[in-house]
Amino acid sequence: MKLELRGITKRFGSLTANNNVNLVVNPGEIHCLLGENGAGKSTLMNILYGLITPDEGQILIDDEVVTIVDPKDAVNHGIGMVHQHFMLIPVFSIADNVILGSEPLKPWPVIDYKAATSRLIELANEYDFEIDDPQATVEDLPIGAQQRVEILKALSHEASVLILDEPTAVLTPQETDAFMVILRSLKASGKSIIFITHKLREVLAIADVITVMRLGEVVGVTTPKETDERGLAAMMVGRDVNFVVEKLPASIGDVVLKVENLYVEDSRGLTSVKDVSFEVRAGEILAVAGVQGNGQTELVEALTGMRHPSSGHVTLNGVDLAGESVRRFLNAGVGHVPEDRQRYGLIPSLSISDNLVLDQLDDPRFRRRFGRDLKAIKANGIQKRESFDIRSQSEESPVGALSGGNQQKVVMARELSRELKVLICSQPTRGLDVGSIEFMHRQIVDIRDSGVAVIIVSSELDEVVALGDRIAVLYDGEIQDIVPPTASREDLGLLMAGAGKAKVNA
Amino acid sequence: MSATTTEPATAEPPRLDAFLRFVVRARQANMFLVLVLALFVGLVFGGIMIIVTQPTLLTSWSHFFSHPGGTIASSFNTVWFAYEELFQGAVVNFHSLRLLIDDPSKVTLATALIPLSGTLTYATPLIVAGLGLAIGFRSSLFNIGGQGQVILGGVLALLVGFSFHLTPVLQVPLEMIAAIGGGALLAGFAGVLKAYTGAHEVIVTMMSNYTMIAVLGYLLIQPLFARPGVLDGASKAVGVSGQLPYFFSHLNAALLLNVGFIIALVAVFAVQWFFTRSKTGFELLMVGQNPDAARVAGIYSKRSIIICLALAGGLLGLAGMLELTGVDHFVTPNFGGSYGFDAITVALLGRNKPWGVFFAAIFFGAMFTGGEAMQAFTPTNIQFSLADVIQAVVVFCVATPALLVEVFHLRGGSRLMNSTYAGGWV
Repeated sequence: MKLELRGITKRFGSLTANNNVNLVVNPGEIHCLLGENGAGKSTLMNILYGLITPDEGQILIDDEVVTIVDPKDAVNHGIGMVHQHFMLIPVFSIADNVILGSEPLKPWPVIDYKAATSRLIELANEYDFEIDDPQATVEDLPIGAQQRVEILKALSHEASVLILDEPTAVLTPQETDAFMVILRSLKASGKSIIFITHKLREVLAIADVITVMRLGEVVGVTTPKETDERGLAAMMVGRDVNFVVEKLPASIGDVVLKVENLYVEDSRGLTSVKDVSFEVRAGEILAVAGVQGNGQTELVEALTGMRHPSSGHVTLNGVDLAGESVRRFLNAGVGHVPEDRQRYGLIPSLSISDNLVLDQLDDPRFRRRFGRDLKAIKANGIQKRESFDIRSQSEESPVGALSGGNQQKVVMARELSRELKVLICSQPTRGLDVGSIEFMHRQIVDIRDSGVAVIIVSSELDEVVALGDRIAVLYDGEIQDIVPPTASREDLGLLMAGAGKAKVNA
Repeated sequence: MSATTTEPATAEPPRLDAFLRFVVRARQANMFLVLVLALFVGLVFGGIMIIVTQPTLLTSWSHFFSHPGGTIASSFNTVWFAYEELFQGAVVNFHSLRLLIDDPSKVTLATALIPLSGTLTYATPLIVAGLGLAIGFRSSLFNIGGQGQVILGGVLALLVGFSFHLTPVLQVPLEMIAAIGGGALLAGFAGVLKAYTGAHEVIVTMMSNYTMIAVLGYLLIQPLFARPGVLDGASKAVGVSGQLPYFFSHLNAALLLNVGFIIALVAVFAVQWFFTRSKTGFELLMVGQNPDAARVAGIYSKRSIIICLALAGGLLGLAGMLELTGVDHFVTPNFGGSYGFDAITVALLGRNKPWGVFFAAIFFGAMFTGGEAMQAFTPTNIQFSLADVIQAVVVFCVATPALLVEVFHLRGGSRLMNSTYAGGWV
């Protein structure tokens, strides 16, 4: 089925989210929609899926104008959407989730679970999906498998165009590879796919056609053959982008943070950090690499006081902080840019100014006699918004209204405004666009050069190699090895897969 | 919508153009407009209720097609008369006002203002109780134990009230401390249970209501509290030195407005300051909005939960003290009445904002005193519950602005709908 969007315009007040956008998706095509956060990709897809009504323009299916004002219309026209945040019911089984909304009934109004299960298996076989147990509860599945369930759900509604909104943002590198295989098999069976992403490498690997959007307009349509990462990035941002993080050799100082024989249990009581020891010196970046779920989260929580280690030492400038409160860690000079900024880093309903002082309520700069100094907090908001280029209507805008990149800037600005000894950044650029990634990397290198010890935890290999002065690879809660950034990708890959030091050197 | 209203305006004279622009702008959804419309809808709904509950009016409607004018006029008159009494009973008596203008020697302004005094007196404890609930809601804690905290506050204030005979300057603050402390301890205990054992505050505080009702019943048959020689369960009375002084009783003995109103006003300012300026207030807001982010920022949420509930309970205890020492001066088995639950609605109607709570409580006071007057003075004896109906419709409309936005085609309503009243049941 051929899908065409013609002259789509959508305005929100004074903001034009889509301006005369044209998009053609041919049958059996993987069409990548690329653009920075706020470029209008999501608005466009929400229009296509009937969640937003456009001010102008038409949607054509097989060259016929159709009206889509409701997701139901979209589904009836064979359009399926997999949202970035899954719309699954965690406590239901895979089969239940897939049939939800179109339950097969027995001759009398009772759900025919047998038919549901067999339909699921049939679908899974058709597209080569691995489904071990259709009755498995969705919340027990890894993210990658949950995503497959979402795709199956869309396919079960006989979608012939699938919209995938940043599907790889939540996946590990291995899951991403598996996902690419799925995309190819969907394409082979004649489905069209609209693939929204920031990740240029993936786009070049899989796309047939690439449409690049910037500030609500289509700025170019191209193919992987005609362009490269640099070209795509320039199109997206509107200028040349610096991919290599420019940094001088680290001028390394004294040991600031020393972790010895650290053991940490996760919420289920399983030991997820095992006998981890390392040192970080002033003025260097230690990058912790590893596939998501190998103990990074618990390690970071133990290094910031969020979780008490079961044994071991976390020594900051000679003081053992293991088991102390978050407050003690903050006061000792630990900066923390958490992994999930929306959940752990910000309070979406509060203003930018307020979010910039969340962990600095006791700071004399923001206090006045008995209460908070609202003037100083506002002035700080104005100044930080300026210097960190936080794009918003004003410093009083609620943080929840900002794009991911700007939210991360708020978190970073806040942490950098304290007197830091160590800065711990967990997935600092996850879900960010190229411009924001560049900005974050610059900030991290600058803070390193000012003599702060920095720890980066990232599952992006590119980022680890670009930023790290040393790379510690975490696998199954243990540090496999600490290697220089010159180590080859193959070696790092082997370490991340748990091959161990010995094998890599052999 | 806006396009259709502005389009013909270009051809019209400029004055009409300005008027249309004003209409368009006035339709911009804001809270003030929502309140006005809510009141309007409430009164219309109440009017319909009056018509369908009056047998004589209903009979006249059955002859609607022969005398349409008479039917509408008599219905309108009945409704108008009821609302006139409602207003006179709540704010100011037109009759005395007219007398006052004609011949100031016969009647004083004080007499005309007796209804307003009644409204404010009724509202006083409700303002403070509503503030207490609002503190909890802003921090996503649902304190259902208002009634119990009001009772405990009242009982402890009573104990201080009849045990000592100091000067009011000493005794009233002592009563306040006892009441606030009692309410804070009771609610704070629920906070401790929630923080350390995860016991849900809704269950614990709700149960504490029943406990306090039982405790009150027990105390009232103890010699220490019971009034000697009385069998209706009334307690001893607070001594004169422990009563809140009336402002204007020297002008007219029916003017019962007392110092409690000033205490309530101070509480409004204090809570306003607490949320905007104080560190603890901001921390509570953080924990309420996003406990995970608060934890990362080094805020100890167990402590916040306990502080929040204790503060809320303290205010409810104070409400009990204001009710006791300002109005009745003694306690009966029904003491506290529905204050604890009315306060939930008041907080909701006031959108958890201190000044919002203030005016919401006064609205409740007005509907109460006005409702009584309406029942007493309308010839057809319109029931007091009509005031409850109007009140309920207003609260309903304010709680669901989406409805008003939809019905009146307000612009930019989504902003209103997204604003939260109380957080989830964390």
